[in-house]
Amino acid sequence: MGGAGWLFLFAVLMAAGLLFCMVFFIIMFSDLECDYINPIDLCNKLNQFVLPENIAHAFITILFLISGQWGSFLLNLPLLAWNANKIRNKAHMYDATEIFRTLGGHKKETFFKLGFYLISFFFYLYKMIVALIAESE
Amino acid sequence: MASPAEQLPPGWAAEWDATHQRYLFIETTTGHTQWEPPAAGSAETENAPPAGVTPAGGHGKRRQYAAGQTQAYYGGEAAPDPAYGQASAGLGVQQQGGQLFTPGLAAEGQFANQQQIAQQGGGTQGGYYGQGEPEYLNQQPQQYGQPPVDALANQFGQMGVGGQKQFSLYTTNLLTLPPDPRDLAQPPPEIRLPPNACISPSPTANADPSYFRSTLNAIPTTSSLLSKSKMPLALVITPYRSLNEGEEPVPLVTDTVIARCRRCRSYINPYVQFIDGGSRWRCCLCSMTNEVPQLFDWDQVRNQPGDRWQRLEMNHSCVEYVAPTEYMVRPPQPAVYIFLIDVSHAAVQSGMVATATRTILENLERIPDEGERTKISIICYDTSLYFFSMPPGSTDSSMLVVSDIDDVFLPKPTDLLVNLAEARGALEVLLGRIGEMFQENTIIGSALGPALQAGFKLMTPIGGKIIVLSSSLPSHGAGALKNREDNKLLGTAKESGLLQAASPFYKTFAIECSRTQVSVDMFLFSSAYQDVATLACLPHYTSGQTYYYPAFNAARSEDALKFAHEFGEVIAQPIMLEAVIRVRASRGLRMASFHGNFFVRSTDLLAMPAVPQDQSYAIEVQIEEAITIPFVVFQTAVLHTTCYGERRIRVITAALPTTSNLSELYSSADQIAITTFFANKAVERSLTHKLEDSRDFILQKLVDIISAYKASMTSSGAGASAQLAISENMKMLPVLILGLLKNVGIRQSAQIPPDIRAYSQALLTTLPSQLLIPYIYPTFYSLHNMPPEAGTIGEHGVILPPPLPLTSERLERHGLFLIEDGQTIFLWVGRDAVPQLIQDVFELPSYDALRGGKATLNLLENQFSQRINAIVQKIREMRRGVYYPHLYIVKEDGEPPLRLWALSMLIQDRADVLPSYQQFLSSLKDKVNGASGGY
Ligand SMILES: [Zn+2]
Repeated sequence: MGGAGWLFLFAVLMAAGLLFCMVFFIIMFSDLECDYINPIDLCNKLNQFVLPENIAHAFITILFLISGQWGSFLLNLPLLAWNANKIRNKAHMYDATEIFRTLGGHKKETFFKLGFYLISFFFYLYKMIVALIAESE
Repeated sequence: MASPAEQLPPGWAAEWDATHQRYLFIETTTGHTQWEPPAAGSAETENAPPAGVTPAGGHGKRRQYAAGQTQAYYGGEAAPDPAYGQASAGLGVQQQGGQLFTPGLAAEGQFANQQQIAQQGGGTQGGYYGQGEPEYLNQQPQQYGQPPVDALANQFGQMGVGGQKQFSLYTTNLLTLPPDPRDLAQPPPEIRLPPNACISPSPTANADPSYFRSTLNAIPTTSSLLSKSKMPLALVITPYRSLNEGEEPVPLVTDTVIARCRRCRSYINPYVQFIDGGSRWRCCLCSMTNEVPQLFDWDQVRNQPGDRWQRLEMNHSCVEYVAPTEYMVRPPQPAVYIFLIDVSHAAVQSGMVATATRTILENLERIPDEGERTKISIICYDTSLYFFSMPPGSTDSSMLVVSDIDDVFLPKPTDLLVNLAEARGALEVLLGRIGEMFQENTIIGSALGPALQAGFKLMTPIGGKIIVLSSSLPSHGAGALKNREDNKLLGTAKESGLLQAASPFYKTFAIECSRTQVSVDMFLFSSAYQDVATLACLPHYTSGQTYYYPAFNAARSEDALKFAHEFGEVIAQPIMLEAVIRVRASRGLRMASFHGNFFVRSTDLLAMPAVPQDQSYAIEVQIEEAITIPFVVFQTAVLHTTCYGERRIRVITAALPTTSNLSELYSSADQIAITTFFANKAVERSLTHKLEDSRDFILQKLVDIISAYKASMTSSGAGASAQLAISENMKMLPVLILGLLKNVGIRQSAQIPPDIRAYSQALLTTLPSQLLIPYIYPTFYSLHNMPPEAGTIGEHGVILPPPLPLTSERLERHGLFLIEDGQTIFLWVGRDAVPQLIQDVFELPSYDALRGGKATLNLLENQFSQRINAIVQKIREMRRGVYYPHLYIVKEDGEPPLRLWALSMLIQDRADVLPSYQQFLSSLKDKVNGASGGY
């Protein structure tokens, strides 16, 4: 297996991880709506994952950049910019005092990311297979 | 058009019928109609008019009623009681006829009359001299004789019928109707519940507006109806309001028999139904059938059978229960007060420290401490922390200094937080000494964050109240803030950044506080930038309050007096501790968003470590599914510990009818509640978006309401109209919105310091309607020509002069005026004020000798001075809340900043870029006519 194969295998695993992360976020949000968790605990829990998630995504995007996978890089660029902008505005962390007001927005964002990682997952899987086939030929 | 109405025998009314060009005569008691003028005594009916005829009103006013509606109005007891939900009869026709009913005509005459008299007042100037009795005292009040509203009320009062009344919609044209400030004192539209909704005949069975207001007093049955009307649906609750003198305390149910619904956990109230012979009750919120508790009909005091109909919770909308142990997470904790006093150079020099300690000392007696359990501690701070150890039984105290502020620790495990009763002697001595102790303190800087942490450490695990007195920007240790005031940002899109918290410390700390049942009050005094926006976060999320005394200087007795009064009232307030508030509502309604000072702990639970009196909360309500019941119930439950150590539940139940009818919806709108809600919404929006967005948002809401009203309630429908129509009960809404848009917290300006703005926003989101409305629409009195009874003691205390519309047209060069918004009082002196008047009020020889600025009005040996003092006194006392407004004397040609400040309260005037009321209305009209294509 060559470089591209390994890269996409790694990307597939990362996408799967991020996917699970988003599922976890969504479960936590619905727990909050059902009063199974209070907003303080929720924010403390979720905030631990926010930066790792963003870093993981940034990492894989940069990997695509340096390995010259332009298509995959461009696919990830908008989300990277979105995350970076949020961090720059210090708006990336969940704020327990405002969480109920902003919950709708958070949920929308998380669902969007979930969809995005799902698509990425299959896209990387496809690219991996393509890379493997190309190699075996 | 001579009306024959005057010649009619009693019991008859005449209506002009446009179709037949003749009068229709109606017998008011039976609803019979006839074309022939009735002979006296005749009650015979002939010639009933054909159905669908729309008789137009007499008296030159255009008013149309359907025959059916006429009967409903005039039918009296003979008419069948209109069934609930049939109220739409009148509206359809009004829509068809679509003519505007314009009480403005009456009002206009009134208005002109007022102006005339005001000019006459001007004429008295010449006669002022040389008369023994000052003539300005003798101005007759007859111009205020019958306000247009009364006239209306009378007019329609005659049509009132028994049984359940329908809402009826009266449209007014804003363009011809100048706002009358007296309308703001009107009660909200009546809550007209279907008959038998309430099982108690008690007048207190439905919530008083001072506890509970809804923007709509008839709840739309579907969300599509609500969105069609463009009206906001929100509640304004003040569950813990102070009691006026002579007011009954909230009734207390002591037998711990608390009947609650099994499903929705609501409390039994006057709107439930007893079924199965009284052994069960049906919940009015969720229709669940519940068992009546066994002891419900047992009088535990006398130990004999009791009468459930006499039970307090069955007769009062607002009751308190003594809560049994299952309502306690832990035993009731004592009240704890920790004072954090800034003793840095600036604080000492301004006299704040001396005033504060003296006020605490004077109010020690008033701190709630019935069971002698209250605990108290005093921590001073500059860049170090100063603790005071007060061993019980001794009058000595020793000071312990902690200068390590990076890792705050308590220097001593005991005697720092002491029992108020036990350590009273030591406290008194200490409070008397703190002032001199730090007299020579030259340290500049403030370690507010570490001081907060120390106070927090000291009061955990009990919880309680931290009262912060701070004179400078926090500069040392955790929570240090930078001076981010930048005048270049003011008036730009970036300004709202200055209103958001600069440091996450205050939010994080607030959450910690809320968790540990600690509430924080902020008293801020700086003359320089203090970042009120950031500091106000703490009170915001811990249910405290921010008080701001910019450039406080105790050398000015007015400053010292105001602060001492307000601080003393805050200390003496019987606070509720460890409170949670939950608002439940009938099925289909959901509490969607919350505004006010608290921490939202779950979707519908508000956590409040300590509830101060007279704070208001706004809750937006969403209609999730269609409502099929004739009335809905909102129930606010406040579980709390009194400061005397008793766990209690305060329950406030409010029932509102539902409607599927747009006209009922409009005619039930409460303009005061709508404004209160919009004030909260505007502040929220200015933080999440921009100040400009928040103004646009509120303005757009108003445009939407008027557009929707025009489209559905007037004949012009979607087309252009020369009128600006709105229902009678909302006619003050545009001027209130204008006032809100011109309020310091929201106003478009590049001159408002962020601290002032932030404080104003804190007020906008916490003041109860009673204080908020004058804050948005100040009151304006003319004193030199006030009616003779004004300023004297009447039936309800001191009689106030009639309020004037807020326009400088009313200012006269020789006059004396008073403008107040509940926070500040301005005494405006015209430049041609006669020496006699100056002498009488200010004890000065002439206008030139008078100085503008903060002042105390001395009580002089003349009637006029005494009356003015009585009015000022009344203004300071008449509203709930701790505020003690400053009095400023403003000379017409005095210093411009003060003059402009006072004039900025006259919100109907044009000021700089801000439109006058007339301009505002015409831009509204353009927007409404322009926008209506989209509706
Ligand atoms: Zn229920």
